[in-house]
Amino acid sequence: MMVAFQKGADGVYVVGCLEGECHFLTGNLRAKKKVEYAKKLLDEIGVGGERLAMYNIAASDGPRFAEVAREMHEKIKAQGPNPIKGATLNKKAA
Amino acid sequence: MIVAERKPIDEIIGFVKNCKKILLVGCNECVTVCYAGGKKEVGVLASALKMAFMKEGKELEVEEVTLERQCDHEYLEEIRNIIDQYEAVISLACGVGVQFLAEKYLTTPVFPGLNTSFMGVTEESGVWSERCQGCGQCILGQTAGICPISRCAKRLLNGPCGGSTDGKCEINKELDCAWQLIIDRLKELGRLEDYEKLIPIKDWSTERAGGPRKIVREDLKS
Amino acid sequence: MTVTQETKTINLTIDGQQIKVIEGASVLEAAQQLRINIPTLCYHKALPSYGACRLCLVEVSQSGGRPSLQASCTYPAQEGLIVKTDTEQVIKTRRIMAELLLARCPDSDEVKRIAKELGVEKIRIKPKHKDCLLCGLCVRMCHDRMGRGAIGFAYRGSNREVQPAFDIQSDVCQTCGACFSICPTQAIKFEKITKNKPRPILSEYDSGLRERPVAYIPYPQAVPKLAIIDEEHCVSLQTGECKVCQEFCEAGAINFDQKEEILKLDVGSVILASGFKPYDPAINDTYQYSRFSNVVTSLEFERILSASGPYQGHLLRPSDEKEPKTIAWIQCVGSRNTHVADKGYCSGVCCTYAIKQAMVAKEHSDTPLDTAIFYIDIRTYGKDFEKFYNRAKDDVGVRFVKSRINNILPGDEEGDLKIRYTNEAGRIAQEEFDIVVLSVGLDIPQESMDLAQKMGVELNNYNFVSTKTFEPVRTTKDGIYICGAFQGPKDIPETVMQASASAAASSSLLSSQRHTLTKEREYPDEIDIAGQEPRIGVFVCHCGINIGGVVNVPEVTDYASRLPNVLVADNNLFTCSQDTQDKIKERIEEFKLNRVVVASCSARTHEPLFQDTIRDAGLNPYLFSMANIRDQDSWVHQSDKEGATEKAKDLVRMAVANAAESSPLYRTKLPVIKRALIIGGGIAGMTAALNIAGQGFEVVLVEIEKELGGMGRKIHTTLQGDNIQNYLADLIEKVTQNEKIEVLTETIVVDFSGTKGNFKTALTVGPAMYHREVNHGALIIATGALEYKPKEYLYGESDAVKTQVELEDILSREESRIKEWKNVVMIQCVGSRNQENPNCSRVCCQQAIKNAIAIKEINPDINIFILYRDIRTYSFLEDFYRKAREMGIHFLRYREDEEPTVEQEEAKIQVTFKDLTLGREIKMSPDQLILSAGVVAGDTQELASILKVPLTSERFFLEAHVKLRPVDTQSDGIFICGMAHSPRLIDETISQALAASSRACTLISQDAIEVGGVVAKVDPDLCAACLICVRACPYEVPFINEDGVSEIDISKCHGCGVCASECPAKAITLSHFEDTQILAQIDALLEAG
Repeated sequence: MMVAFQKGADGVYVVGCLEGECHFLTGNLRAKKKVEYAKKLLDEIGVGGERLAMYNIAASDGPRFAEVAREMHEKIKAQGPNPIKGATLNKKAA
Repeated sequence: MIVAERKPIDEIIGFVKNCKKILLVGCNECVTVCYAGGKKEVGVLASALKMAFMKEGKELEVEEVTLERQCDHEYLEEIRNIIDQYEAVISLACGVGVQFLAEKYLTTPVFPGLNTSFMGVTEESGVWSERCQGCGQCILGQTAGICPISRCAKRLLNGPCGGSTDGKCEINKELDCAWQLIIDRLKELGRLEDYEKLIPIKDWSTERAGGPRKIVREDLKS
Repeated sequence: MTVTQETKTINLTIDGQQIKVIEGASVLEAAQQLRINIPTLCYHKALPSYGACRLCLVEVSQSGGRPSLQASCTYPAQEGLIVKTDTEQVIKTRRIMAELLLARCPDSDEVKRIAKELGVEKIRIKPKHKDCLLCGLCVRMCHDRMGRGAIGFAYRGSNREVQPAFDIQSDVCQTCGACFSICPTQAIKFEKITKNKPRPILSEYDSGLRERPVAYIPYPQAVPKLAIIDEEHCVSLQTGECKVCQEFCEAGAINFDQKEEILKLDVGSVILASGFKPYDPAINDTYQYSRFSNVVTSLEFERILSASGPYQGHLLRPSDEKEPKTIAWIQCVGSRNTHVADKGYCSGVCCTYAIKQAMVAKEHSDTPLDTAIFYIDIRTYGKDFEKFYNRAKDDVGVRFVKSRINNILPGDEEGDLKIRYTNEAGRIAQEEFDIVVLSVGLDIPQESMDLAQKMGVELNNYNFVSTKTFEPVRTTKDGIYICGAFQGPKDIPETVMQASASAAASSSLLSSQRHTLTKEREYPDEIDIAGQEPRIGVFVCHCGINIGGVVNVPEVTDYASRLPNVLVADNNLFTCSQDTQDKIKERIEEFKLNRVVVASCSARTHEPLFQDTIRDAGLNPYLFSMANIRDQDSWVHQSDKEGATEKAKDLVRMAVANAAESSPLYRTKLPVIKRALIIGGGIAGMTAALNIAGQGFEVVLVEIEKELGGMGRKIHTTLQGDNIQNYLADLIEKVTQNEKIEVLTETIVVDFSGTKGNFKTALTVGPAMYHREVNHGALIIATGALEYKPKEYLYGESDAVKTQVELEDILSREESRIKEWKNVVMIQCVGSRNQENPNCSRVCCQQAIKNAIAIKEINPDINIFILYRDIRTYSFLEDFYRKAREMGIHFLRYREDEEPTVEQEEAKIQVTFKDLTLGREIKMSPDQLILSAGVVAGDTQELASILKVPLTSERFFLEAHVKLRPVDTQSDGIFICGMAHSPRLIDETISQALAASSRACTLISQDAIEVGGVVAKVDPDLCAACLICVRACPYEVPFINEDGVSEIDISKCHGCGVCASECPAKAITLSHFEDTQILAQIDALLEAG
């Protein structure tokens, strides 16, 4: 997740099964905690934790998947590009 | 084990803000186990630092290496050939490792990435707590295996203070009163008479009072 | 050309290159071997050279001799000959030849092409505008290869012409078309040569919408994908002449001596699966199908929509290949009609396929397309089909018109069609359409009937194989089983289930012979790729129009070929077809590939196939990577073709990066526990238990209630009149007496762990609630469903309101009460097809009709009114709907948005509803109101969460693939059957139970399964023995071994990767999902942005 942001991703989201329905028992809960930790770290360095999200979607729920994709797209669009990219670009422009 | 936690990123950035190329050194011992300075945390910190620099329009080259232990010469030797390439080193070891590294490589500034907290245990996954302060005069034999020095806020040696309420410490209601634990445990062991035995005034010279400590075993010394 | 020791060889030099050919070869053939391009026109590989066109001129000389220009097609190769094909003289002369040819036939595309290739643009002499070049190909072909001589050259010099003898239509001509197909200038006029009318051979696969050759591959995904020769039309097989194809087949694969063989096989059982044929609407041509070319059958329309179809997936109508603006579907063509061809049954699948076609057509159409489906009842009774219908109606805008259509008239414009119909208000309306699709039903071909007769298998009155409710795959002949549409109309999931069911029934019979004919699949030795740089081959799939219609596949392929480490990139129409597998293997060999990437569909369905392919070429299966450019790209970005193409590139780039980092992995064998656990002791669970036991394996059958039987205990008869209680008693007896089956009643599942072949289930058993653990290799979920408890229509408040199940109880015990009733109203779709439960409950229409008939038989004077939305008596059940109407039972339709209302009026209840025929409200005061309460899922959530098996949004268990794996779950080794899967009738439940048994036995009949591959591994040098993995693993697999480092048993590891993600020392990696692979993909993804 961190590397994705470091390489310039504007947003990253992790999709897992519904809570309690993980094929690997608790994998999705662990994933969620990892995401929370990484969000804090992103806040700390000023990239913004809200660029990272975890969603739980049922395997059968295609429409929700699409909805989440749109939701995340809008959210990230509203926030603009990853600040680390912007700074590098500005520098190049200058 | 020695338990530590990562310093706030801002503080670490402060150490190296003018650098372009640094070395991050992890330690595969205690700080790996307490999830503060192992290979994984080294990677996460490297990534975070790079991003923080990029955000400011700067670039930071970060090399990552995790040594078996930073408190042994031989392992520290592993970075001898590369250390001169870096403007600074951030050690993700405990204070011992940071110092030893700094002692060994005099020309490169070494900064701590962690705050070394205490000697302690893993209570459960993700929870660590203190158990020992290295006083040099272990009295656990008399206190049913519960250390009043590390676990009593006042380091009392002969029973609780007046602030012990419902088995909790007056400093922090979350904290068990060490002496309550000792008494309960002695009772369970049928050794309550040990509680009656006074522990004499402790010679704190074996702790910090006598200055930095050192142990020498002649039979092992080369 | 093979050069052997015996044949004399000749050495010559062409354009400085040495070449060895056999004696007798021409210079042209020698040059072709060197892939030197020499233009030709009158040359044909299957004919002796003729030297007519002179385009193939080359300069030849013996060493030291004078060079001369010669036609290379006729000039024999000679020892020491020096040939030059590109001297100024040669080119200049060829140009003159081309100019002369162009002057004769300036209108021929082929001549123009050749002239252009040679740089000839102007003609300096007067053009003659002839059709025929006089190359003689046709004459030679007819005479030399077809043995006919129907045409020849007549006259001399400038009057020379190709004609039949005396210019009279020839009797010799066999209308084979060889002259026509070989002529470079399309100069052959059949009417001059023969009295016969040539007729094209129509492609069977494309429903006659286009032509096909005599030698052909039936369809792109044919297995095996081999060319076949149409015996009836092959000149060689008819007359012994021709054999032209043999000249071209480099593999020498054409064998005209192949004969039909009769094989005698000794078998213990036979399964009939010969399927159906679509009803032929031309027989009773109600809709003038044979007259109007824009009236097409649904199967023809399917081909029109298909990427590999006659219009390459463009939506065009046959008469003028115009894009349609309006399309109509007429339902029930050859179904539900006793007057025409005696097709009294419902074909069961047409409603859903018509909806699908209407939706796909709308998607395919670049301009807004009006689609209208004319129907009697919409029968979307399958699992989640009603939701699909709702989507078509509410979101996509497909029109549904309830009206039976009697005929089709020509429209005002040429090719258009007019439909006149009575609308629901009873008025005549008419509309014009560009295409009318006939939703043809399922019919049984004569050959199948003959086969059944030969085998002594009885058919029913509609010529489908006759079966009994409780033995749905057993024919009237012992040992012969039936599955699929030959048993009765059914869709794909039901067909797949029944196929497995017939396998189960047959396996039970033959279980003593299991594995006696098994052969081990052998793979070549694995190529050691250690130390090699990645050498990647990429195969991009069109998937017909699925991907190719949205993503620019050639562009993606070209892009892929330029990615790092990629040696070759190809694209294929269907990458999963057999010939592509061969191509992939060839490419691996040709380019010494050590990694393969396929960009196509879902790894979930197709990765095993491709892994097997590369394994067959000596590569470790884990050196395969896949990019899903269909489900994740073309299907979701249909409206953004450019964006989808760019995304496909991203996905391919990531897969290539992943492949470069992948490494070989190995699997080991793990013994399988030969026991199944079945949860649910209803008809489904018991049927599965008996079959598994019959196949020789132990079963533990777990039932939550005190007694076995489930929902079956409450139902007394089937619509066909079978006695369910007798059957159930017999079934329970058999199950409890079977020594291989252990029945545990009042038992619940409390814990579940393990992997396929090695599960462990913890149970709380009996009233004493003791704890027990069962080890088993497979698990079947057969927990059934419940009757919906209505909240509407005064249910529970008035005694006069009952459900169908409660009515059955009255029917079985209190006949006298029924005799007192004068009026009964039944309301359909209570608790189904609404907001709360969008699905059709499938069984209620049959229940209502069954009970209505039963009431009417007890009390013939009674009035029964069934208020319905669509009557869904699919398949042969339609007969009972007809019977009910004939008995005078009234069926009155209400609209979804105008549900009936029920009020208590003093002692009686009053039902009010709007009759659609009369267009007004009607009030009735029945003695009894029966609610056809739907089927709802049981309390499945806890069990699902223990088993980690996902549910649908209506809480039925979710299958692995809706069509192709209808009884498998996403967890290997766990299967579903009965109402736990979806509402269904008893015969369907039994079929599905047998299917689940078949799938379970396929697993537990194996002695061992392979484990490993995608598992976690520990690097002991890095391990800090911190115990984090030990604590984190949800399956408690890692432990700290004697060496003081973490160890993971691969047979127990599920490959979830939690330990790898938690390891603070990064000592643990998950094979096939290693950090390097994931980071390489992230790098690849983000490098472009």
